[in-house]
Amino acid sequence: MILAAVYIFLFAPIVIVIATSFDYGDRAYVIFPPERFTFDAYLNIPEYITNGIYLSVGVGLATALGASLIGIPASLGIVRSDIPGKSVIMTLFRIPLQIPGVVMGLAFLQAYYAIGAATGWYANGTYMGLVIAHIFAATPFVIGAVVPVLQRFQPTLEEAAQTLGASRITTFRRITLPLIAPGVFAGSLYAFMISFGDVPIAIFLSKPGTSTFPVEVFFALEQEFDTTILAASTLVVVFSLMVLLIIQRFSGLDVFVRTR
Amino acid sequence: MSGIKARWELILFPPLVLTMVLLVASQFIFIRGSFHKDLGYGDLSTTYELVNYLRAFSDPYYLNVLLLSINVSATATVLTMICAVPVAYIIARMTSRWAMLLLALVVVAQFVTIAIKVLGLIVLFSPDGIVNRLFLALGLIDETFTILGTFPGVITGLMYYSLGFAVLLIYSVILTIPRSLEEAAQIHGAGRFNVYRRIILPLAAPGTVVCSLMVFNISIGGFASTALIGAGKILTLPVIVQRSVVVNYNYGMGAALAVILLVSVILINLFSVAIIQRFRRGKGMTI
Repeated sequence: MILAAVYIFLFAPIVIVIATSFDYGDRAYVIFPPERFTFDAYLNIPEYITNGIYLSVGVGLATALGASLIGIPASLGIVRSDIPGKSVIMTLFRIPLQIPGVVMGLAFLQAYYAIGAATGWYANGTYMGLVIAHIFAATPFVIGAVVPVLQRFQPTLEEAAQTLGASRITTFRRITLPLIAPGVFAGSLYAFMISFGDVPIAIFLSKPGTSTFPVEVFFALEQEFDTTILAASTLVVVFSLMVLLIIQRFSGLDVFVRTR
Repeated sequence: MSGIKARWELILFPPLVLTMVLLVASQFIFIRGSFHKDLGYGDLSTTYELVNYLRAFSDPYYLNVLLLSINVSATATVLTMICAVPVAYIIARMTSRWAMLLLALVVVAQFVTIAIKVLGLIVLFSPDGIVNRLFLALGLIDETFTILGTFPGVITGLMYYSLGFAVLLIYSVILTIPRSLEEAAQIHGAGRFNVYRRIILPLAAPGTVVCSLMVFNISIGGFASTALIGAGKILTLPVIVQRSVVVNYNYGMGAALAVILLVSVILINLFSVAIIQRFRRGKGMTI
């Protein structure tokens, strides 16, 4: 059936990467079906690739944190304030979603050059520079995940707590936060995944020699690649799977099945 | 309780201001840069001129890139939707718990970074890869083929960007169509085909159109897969934006091309919002 065909199409590349990662040897090229089954590739992953993975994780975590720090108050403000023009504000926050990755990367690169020329601080090629750009790109995802949760939230619960004597902070901490936590959690992990998987922005903003993992894969594909990249990619796939399982366990996957 | 609302407005301001600062700071400088002429070696002239834009729309090289981008993205969009809609419909109408698993699988596939998917595609279709060996063995081809630098290859690569999103989006659209409508139609004697044509299609149309526009936007902005599979032979807008800047140091031209890409995407988004508005007003339905 068409269902099977589409799913095979969807997963074939990923499955191939995993399958061929176990066929590590002297050959410079990759063949399938594999000739042998060994974990050697996993033991031989060169340092620049593992550094790339660490960098990606680091940038991703910082992005998730930053995007949440901006996105959560923004969501609270949007849902709970009486400000006029809410849809305009919502649209403003969602603008980064409209900007293609290359444009985002280019824009930040040039902005950093200009700021650098003016102030002496060149952010292109720095960790913070990449993180800032990723935060800008990922915040709408956090807002998109938290706003619906807040909208479903009943303020009467908070009012009840306060009637019973809880202070505003206690109410927030013990009533509000636990109830919106799934949305917050899903949103920040979504932001992490967006940052982790990004190619175009990182390609513009990475320092030559230290790239994030997807950019490493990109460069590897542009030249003859070291087949250990398959092993590294398999690890990353497993890692992504685990992140998704965590989201599923704590918040459910609703955050992804949402109309834009 | 009236003072509390003001507190929420206060909380809104810092993120809003920060986002606006980031937006203006990042986008303004590069947009301004697009109005400067490249003097070579990364220098820009100091006067404002439209030369980059004029070149983009008159030089056959750039026109070709624009047309090619639209062509490739449109084809990828059509193919993606053809795959996504039936799958989404099947999952939406499933009664078993397999539906959850299938959706989860879609999310998993979507979340693996495009770089790994392209790696897999290149390995899959490499001269010693499984597809070539299979086709040779079956006698379907006489010599090995490659997807690098070919249109089908690039189009296939683009599909991986948005197939997952499309399935999820159409899934939520179909969910809004009550099953009872289909059942009622069938009770009244409509065959399967007519059910699709006269019940599902009209109701799912706006959501599908909006989804297609979104897929088109994602495809036209797709960089990684086109750059890798295109292998320097098939150049789309995002690819030459990156090349102009990183390879040729033509910051002005690169910025102009990026602005063209950005404006196209925004226009398409506005168009799709207009479609939603018009449909909402016309039929009073929610999407």
